[in-house]
Amino acid sequence: MAEESFLADDFLRQLMSVGEVDLLVGIPSYNNASTIGQTLQTVEESLRQNFVRERVVILNMDGGSGDETRQLFERRSERREASHKGLTTLRTIHRISCEYDRSPSQGLALRDIVAAADLLRARACAVISPATTNLTPSWVANLLRPVYRESLDFVAPLYERSRFQGLLARDLLYPMSRAIFGNRIRELYSDEWGFSGRLASQCLEQDVWQEEAIRARPEAWMAIKAIGAGLKCGQYYLGPKTASAAASGPDIVEAIRQTVGNLFWCMETNQSTWNGRSNSQPVVTIGPDHELSSDGVPPSQEKTFDLFRSGVNELEPILASILAKDTHAQIKAIALTDRAKFHFAGELWVKTLYEFAASYHHAVLNRDHLVQALVPLYRGRLYSFLQEHANSSPDEMEGQSEMLCQEFERQKPYLLERWTAKRE
Amino acid sequence: MLLQDENLWYKDAVIYQLHVRTYCDSNGDGIGDFRGLTSKLDYLQELGINAIWLLPFYPSPLRDDGYDIADYTSVHPSYGTLQDFKDFLVAAHNRRLRVITEMVVNHTSDQHPWFQESRSSRENAKRDWYVWSDTDTRYQGVRIIFIDTEMSNWAWDPISKSYYWHRFFGHQPDLNYDNPAVREAMWEVMKFWLDIGVDGFRLDAVPYLIERDGTSCENLPETHEVIREFRKRIDLAYPGKMLLAEANQWPADVRAYFGNGDEFHMAFHFPLMPRMFMAVKLEDRKPIIEILEQTPQIPDTCQWCIFLRNHDELTLEMVTDIERDYMYDEYAVDKSMRINLGIRRRLAPMMENDRRRVELLTGLLLSMPGTPIIYYGDEIGMGDNVYLGDRNGVRTPMQWSGGWNAGFSTADPERLYSPLISNPVYGYQAINVDSQRRSAHSLLSWTKSVIQTRNAFKVFSRGSIEFLNPSNHRVLAYVRRLGEEKVLIVNNLSSSAQAVELNLQMYKRHIPIEMFGRNLFPRIGDLPYLLTLGPYQFYWFRLRRI
Repeated sequence: MAEESFLADDFLRQLMSVGEVDLLVGIPSYNNASTIGQTLQTVEESLRQNFVRERVVILNMDGGSGDETRQLFERRSERREASHKGLTTLRTIHRISCEYDRSPSQGLALRDIVAAADLLRARACAVISPATTNLTPSWVANLLRPVYRESLDFVAPLYERSRFQGLLARDLLYPMSRAIFGNRIRELYSDEWGFSGRLASQCLEQDVWQEEAIRARPEAWMAIKAIGAGLKCGQYYLGPKTASAAASGPDIVEAIRQTVGNLFWCMETNQSTWNGRSNSQPVVTIGPDHELSSDGVPPSQEKTFDLFRSGVNELEPILASILAKDTHAQIKAIALTDRAKFHFAGELWVKTLYEFAASYHHAVLNRDHLVQALVPLYRGRLYSFLQEHANSSPDEMEGQSEMLCQEFERQKPYLLERWTAKRE
Repeated sequence: MLLQDENLWYKDAVIYQLHVRTYCDSNGDGIGDFRGLTSKLDYLQELGINAIWLLPFYPSPLRDDGYDIADYTSVHPSYGTLQDFKDFLVAAHNRRLRVITEMVVNHTSDQHPWFQESRSSRENAKRDWYVWSDTDTRYQGVRIIFIDTEMSNWAWDPISKSYYWHRFFGHQPDLNYDNPAVREAMWEVMKFWLDIGVDGFRLDAVPYLIERDGTSCENLPETHEVIREFRKRIDLAYPGKMLLAEANQWPADVRAYFGNGDEFHMAFHFPLMPRMFMAVKLEDRKPIIEILEQTPQIPDTCQWCIFLRNHDELTLEMVTDIERDYMYDEYAVDKSMRINLGIRRRLAPMMENDRRRVELLTGLLLSMPGTPIIYYGDEIGMGDNVYLGDRNGVRTPMQWSGGWNAGFSTADPERLYSPLISNPVYGYQAINVDSQRRSAHSLLSWTKSVIQTRNAFKVFSRGSIEFLNPSNHRVLAYVRRLGEEKVLIVNNLSSSAQAVELNLQMYKRHIPIEMFGRNLFPRIGDLPYLLTLGPYQFYWFRLRRI
């Protein structure tokens, strides 16, 4: 029996019409009617300003929006390009819109985008989120250009953050992924990124697209694939980022399920990529490698400590099966301390995460449940961090982050030890 | 009615552009002449063209290839005599070939007696025949056309100690069309040639006839008055004669030169030409579609003149800076290929001698709305010599054979007005009329057949155009229509095979008949019409409802 193709006939027909391209910009969407027009306009503007000669296609992959996102994209595409005694771009800007599934999934959207990139032999691609409301033409160009002109294979964005923004990334995802995979990519989990056609083709070959970890957050996996293949990675400073009110991000439980779950899954499926690496290397970075602004106030943490404490109590048997006895004991001990004196040390935090990762590997319990069990502990760490850094300057906070990164790297042998140990 | 239609001959013409000097030398002095040209009229008739446009052949110091005329009513001795011209004209007319001559109305040579008189003293009767000034600050801001050689539009005349206005080279003073005596004198020149029997004039550098302070000195209303005056006189005294405008401007600006059908009969469509080259290089129909969408309607009796290459550089004045840079990068990497704002190359070398691309562009030229002009030698794929200076590299002797001097002249090769193209790829030993005549599959034979096909269907010269909009932008498809006559043209602009689905619902039940092989294609049905095309391939289909 012939194998089913995941590409819809209509999508394929549209790709045939486009032919080979130099650049591909993918816009995954789901109920983004309020912003899709502006996103498309900004992408087009970027192409007109920066890539007037190139063969380009803008690809909207929609997850079954009920708010006419696709129709708006198509209507916007039909509008004539402004031209005054000449042309704004030399070539046609091709625009394609297609529904990849009846349910939203970043991973499935990316699968079709990399398939298109492979079929159209795109040299450089970018994924752009319609939820980002302050997208500028230079963002799009800055993600594409290093790939197109400098032969990078993966370009992550770097955003300007306020002191209390992106704490999950700064306190967990970046330092841990940096220590594990050895590359200092700060925003491994982002809504915008760039990649090469070569990387797209390699990713397309992987049979991972239906995996839960990939369905929600495929971008870090893509970067890790690039790292594993020895391809060139980099990051480009884009500036501050704001998202539309309609597209409020997932709550902390869902965020940890998606990102940490993905990170653990990537560790599990890419062991050979990381288990021999002992430290981290900087990547090509264009612009400042971090930018913390001094504005912002700490988010209200009224219930955070209580949730941590109750979580440690309620999940005791689960945590006992995940953590080493000593680690578990230390966590239980700090959960009993006075709120005002509470301190969740970086050393303990790193050890905790490595034990979670190892237990994920050994599948000591349902992996999704395991990742969710991390949530109260993250709350504790967050509470501690905010208490200690409410008045810290950006430089002080960055210094703390760097120390945490080094702690992750220092304890990596412990991770390997736990990882390779026989399940008790 | 029939007579009126006959007067519109220029709409159905396929024009062949040549310079007498380059074509054939009958007396062995190394320079082409009218007798030589006359001897080649059978070739031109055989090619299928039906009008010849001659570059300037008047007495001239030849500092601008004859566009610096020193005597409007005579023939440069190198090219023969006035009688030779008259004999040529009769011979051409006997073969039903019309003849269009060049009329350089904007300026003369500084050697012209009119200018010599004008500069002789400020009191001379012809003083006011040219544009003089005591300062070089009048008309400031007016662009300089020959930016490679000219620093100003004013030149100092040491004889009359004042400045004269020139939009082109300093040795080409502009005539003063505010002076009725100049207009009258130019009309007398036109009458002279019309009485001899020429069929039309190509009026050179038309937008620059009149100057006014505070303007660009281009396309001024007073210029149009001058044109209307000439046209009125021609229509009254010489019906059926044609005026062709050289106005290198945007279509919307050139549109004014058609007036209400009371100015020019035809005008060049300058911006289309570079965009045809661009479209093939970009492999995208966008440049062509966009410029044609910007092209306004013109009166029924008027026609655009379209071309691929001519005696000048491939002008890049009517493109954006981005487009110009692209054209330079793609077609003139070697800086010596560039001149002014353009590229001094011929068709075949620009296409890297790729026969498929030459044919595609020729097919576009012959199937788009407008009267096509073929530049001499392009029908056999002649090459160029960018090292000859100015634009002489595209004005080398016609290559008739692989023999002595390419069959152009019996003179010693050193005596030829220009070296022959002699490299192994484009040299006359490889590229010449004789050898291509012997092959039914040569570029020359192909060109003949495509011209023949065009001439057989008036829809090409008179029909409307409707662009199809297939999602594959590498394919340019359009339907030409004149009454019940319908022709579908499908061009693959790309270097790779393409599939295209055409929405031909308007032509449902029609049978496409491929026009060169006369083969039937599947009848058009309910579904989009699927065609596949090889690299640079194109189809011309008659759409017949039988």
